[in-house]
This record gives sequence, C-alpha cells and structure tokens, in this order.
Amino acid sequence: MSRLEAQHAVIGYGDKPIVRGVDVTIPDGKITAIVGPNGCGKSTLLRALVRLLEPTEGAVALDGENIHRIPTREVARRIGLLPQSPIAPAGITVKELVARGRTPHQKVLRPWSSTDETSVMSALHSTNLTSIQDSVVDELSGGQRQRAWIAMALAQDTPLMLLDEPTTYLDISHQYEVLDLLHRLNERQGRTIVMVVHDLHQAARYAHHVIAMCDGEVAAAGDPTTVFTESLIRDVFDLEARVLPDPITGTPIVVPAHGPGGTQ
Amino acid sequence: MKILRIGALGITTHRRTFAVGLIFLAVLTAVFIFALTMGKADITVLDSLKAVVGIPVGAPGDFIVGQVRAPRALTAILVGATLGLSGAILQSLTRNALASPDFIGITMGAGTGAVLTMSLVSATSLWITAAGATVGALITAGLILALSWRRGIVPLRLILAGIGIGFVAQSTTQYLLTRMDVHDAGTALGWLVGSVTGRTWTHVTVAATVLAVLLPIVLWHARALRTMEMGEDTARALGITVGRSRAILAISSVLLAAAATAVTGPIGFIALVAPALALRLTRNAGVTLIPSALMGALLLLTADQMSQLMPADLQFPVGIFTAVIGAPYLLWLVWRASRGGPS
Repeated sequence: MSRLEAQHAVIGYGDKPIVRGVDVTIPDGKITAIVGPNGCGKSTLLRALVRLLEPTEGAVALDGENIHRIPTREVARRIGLLPQSPIAPAGITVKELVARGRTPHQKVLRPWSSTDETSVMSALHSTNLTSIQDSVVDELSGGQRQRAWIAMALAQDTPLMLLDEPTTYLDISHQYEVLDLLHRLNERQGRTIVMVVHDLHQAARYAHHVIAMCDGEVAAAGDPTTVFTESLIRDVFDLEARVLPDPITGTPIVVPAHGPGGTQ
Repeated sequence: MKILRIGALGITTHRRTFAVGLIFLAVLTAVFIFALTMGKADITVLDSLKAVVGIPVGAPGDFIVGQVRAPRALTAILVGATLGLSGAILQSLTRNALASPDFIGITMGAGTGAVLTMSLVSATSLWITAAGATVGALITAGLILALSWRRGIVPLRLILAGIGIGFVAQSTTQYLLTRMDVHDAGTALGWLVGSVTGRTWTHVTVAATVLAVLLPIVLWHARALRTMEMGEDTARALGITVGRSRAILAISSVLLAAAATAVTGPIGFIALVAPALALRLTRNAGVTLIPSALMGALLLLTADQMSQLMPADLQFPVGIFTAVIGAPYLLWLVWRASRGGPS
C-alpha cells in the first residue's frame, strides 16, 4: 500500500527538467532512503513529493488525489517536512520551536488546545528534549538542534515525514543519534519516513526501501540488498567498488576498490 | 519562558511580551497626559482629558487642548504606531534589520507621490495627498521588487535597490519643487521636513482610519509572518500559503508607510528603530507586531515632546529630531554587520 506516489513526474525549475519522468512509490510504514550523486535530482524529487514544487508533467498523488489539488494546510496535516536548511528565529526556545509544528492544526481565532499541548510534549519526549525544552535553540549542539527540528515535524502529527539530508553537517555520533531516532519513530509510531541521505551504508542499514537516482531518473528501487550491487554503484556513482556484508547486520557496505592500497 | 494564552480569543503570547506591552501602554498614556498638560497655558489633567473627548471645559482648554495639543499628540501616537508596524512587517519579511520603509525608499516614493499631488491640485485635501502618497509608495515598492527579484526576495539586493530608488525619488521630488507654484512649493517644503506641528483632527481621522483597516488584516496574518521567518520551505510545509500571505503583508506594510508619510511628511528612523527596540525589550523570538506599534507610538510622541522642550530658537521639527536619535543606531547596525555579526 502506498499513500504517496509520483507518476511519470517531470520536475524542474523553469523549462529545464531536473527529474525526468519518474515513477516512485513510497511504501507505507517503512523508511525510504533516496540516494544518488550530487545534482541527480534527489532533493528536487523530495520537494515535489511534499508539494513545494509542481511537476511540469505527470503528477504526485497523495492518497490517490493530485497533491496540487489539495489545499496547503491539508497537505501539512498529512506530510511533515524537515527542509535542508531551516532558519530558527533568534532566541526561540526548543519548546516554542516544537510548538510551531502545530501551525497547520491552528486557526487564527482558535485557542491552543490540550491536543496541541499533548503533541508538543510527546514530540519533546520522543526526541529526548524534555529536559532542555526551555533552552534557546541557537545555543544547542548540532545534533540537539537537528533533533529539535525533527521534534517540530513530529508535533505536526503527520503519518508521513520527509527529511532532506537530515544528517548532513553533523559529526558521526550525531548522525547516528538522528538515524536511531528516525528508526525508533518508525518502529514505535509506525510513521512513514522518507529521507535524502548521502551515506550509502547508513541508507542500507536504516532504510527498508532505497530509491537510487541518477541523472534525474530512478536507476533502481527496492530493498537495500537488491539495490546496492557493484554494477549499480558503477553506473550511478561512477565508482568501482566492492559490496560487502556489514559484520553486524549483514546489510551491504560499499567499499571503493581503487585508491591507496587498492587497484588503480 | 512562560506562555500566556488568552483562551477565548486564541491569542498566545509570552508573559514577558504581554507585560512589556502593558508597560509600553502605561508609559505611552503618561507621556500623552504630559503632552496634553505641559505648555504655556496651565490646564489641569482632568480638564485636558475632558477636552480630548469633547466635553467643554472653558476658553483656553477647549482650544489649546481640544484643537492643538490633542490632535498633535494623537497624530504622533497613530503615525508612530503605523510606522512601527510597517517596519516590523518589512523587517520580518526580509529577515533584515535594515529593511525599513524609510531606509529602502518607500517613504521617499510616498513623498514624491504626495508632492506631485500638491503640484497638480493646489491647496489639496489631506485625503487626496494620502492617495498620491499611496500611489507613489506602491510604484516605488513595485520598482524595488522588480529590480531585486531573483526567483525570490534577496534581502541585500532589495535594500541596495531600495536605497537607489530612494535617491531617484528624492531627486524627482526636488525637480518637482523647482517647477511648482511658489506658494505650493512652500507648503510642500514645510511638509517634506516631517512634523506633527499644527496637525488637526482630519490628520487624526486619516491615520486612525488606515490603522483601523490595516491592523486587523496584519494581525490576521501574524502567524503566517512568524512562520515565514523560518524559511519559505518550512512555512509551506507547515501549511502557510506563502505567496498570498507575503503579498498581503508586503502591501499592508507599504500602505501603512504611505499613510504615515501623507499625514506627517516623511519621518525617518521610527520604522527602523521601533521594531528592533520592541524585540530587544520583549526578548520575543521573531517579529512582535503590537509591541512594535506601541514602541513606534511612544518614540514619536516622546521625540515630539522633547523637541518642544528645547529652547525656542533650537526647536526643530520632529523628523529632524528622530534622525538625530536614529542615526547612531543605524551606524551601530552597519558597524555590527561589517563585523560579520547577524544583521
């Protein structure tokens, strides 16, 4: 089953297509990773899936309906997004930031409800931010800040969450902190998660479903073991590599074959 | 930070913001009473307040308070609030402390529009001047936007284009002055200094009407404004119709600046300084509209009172006075920006 799909979608800015006619299906209740080299159209696809860009041909369907026919606020109640570089207003506290995730559920003259409060508290709890909820976001570490943004998207209470490079700019322990959080949210709350990631090992280990993109097209899609093959890495990333099983999980690890100590 | 929620109205604000807002209001009331009672004629507080609302209190009070001091003080309050609100919106939309209507040329454009109206229609009414100022401000804003638009608003381009257009508008105004009838040019020059001296109840009515129409529209979009400060993508992902909200807010800001300029002539720095001060004192995260308006009112009323307290040969119009206070703040902003700090 899938609530979110792209059908023959051509997506681009102006008349220059970046994504050239893709069919993508996001499996419900799973973690999907979108991978591919820089400029392959990963983020463009993600932006179209969340209605920030309108396909010039084809369509994105949410619950079987063209997403561009659904009002902005209604989309925001079904899909949450963590953009690549969100801006935290100066001086905002963690709790205030998370509370802003409730925006699509609020109306101008409607009071803050107990549902709003519950969602915010539970988002703070799932991201382990309860104890620092009154801290100012600018003063947090990179990992904590990213968790606060994820908590904001969580408070939005959407069944689908899309994240554009949630681990970029974080050091390795914070990257895994964020990925473990996403894994927990998926396991315990059954949320469908779609993320653009660069690290293939992380994609293979954390995602159930991988979409590999190359030159604006989908090169392969499926579970990580079938997608990450030596020939696909060569075609998509132009990299000679060996694919080995992760000693802990058995998921694929991509190791370059050339370079120091390898074949030239 | 504690949140205050006024349940029935769905208003949420920080307790600190609310408290600071109340303090602004209290100080504003005090300065207003001071403005009514201080001066050469001795009139009691009670008599002045009666005179403001039109209850007869006898010869000096009825005229001096009812027709001179009250309209002047109320004009200062309303125009100050209008400028504070206009600046707060523009600074929030562009996420830049320098983007105030007086700094990016909107006020100058309103000035050109108003002076053109004065040259075409001799001894014109305030409403027509206001219409001219509005057209001038909208054309200026359109030009700035057209010059700086690159698949979205680029704050630095917007400010530079605004400064450039502002100079063009000012030279146009100068040119118009040389071509005008001498008497009209005198009126226009007096108006161009920016002052609340000699303002009447008509000025109060114009300022109050514009504020009464635009304030609710702006407040209705306050949440959209606050959300857009987190970036366009985040705002849209949170269900804000960014294009529409931004257009409504930007036009409101331009109209507010135009109305303020029509009533008092161009008064600089209030729109630049008031939102920044309000933000600093409330320690709010992001734009704070009502405190910015109250701070603008307080600044302009106080500046006018201070300029009246100067010895007679040193009294100058409030527009010059606000420039004297505002210029150091601007220099500080530029100095901080040049050191690579947040702008």
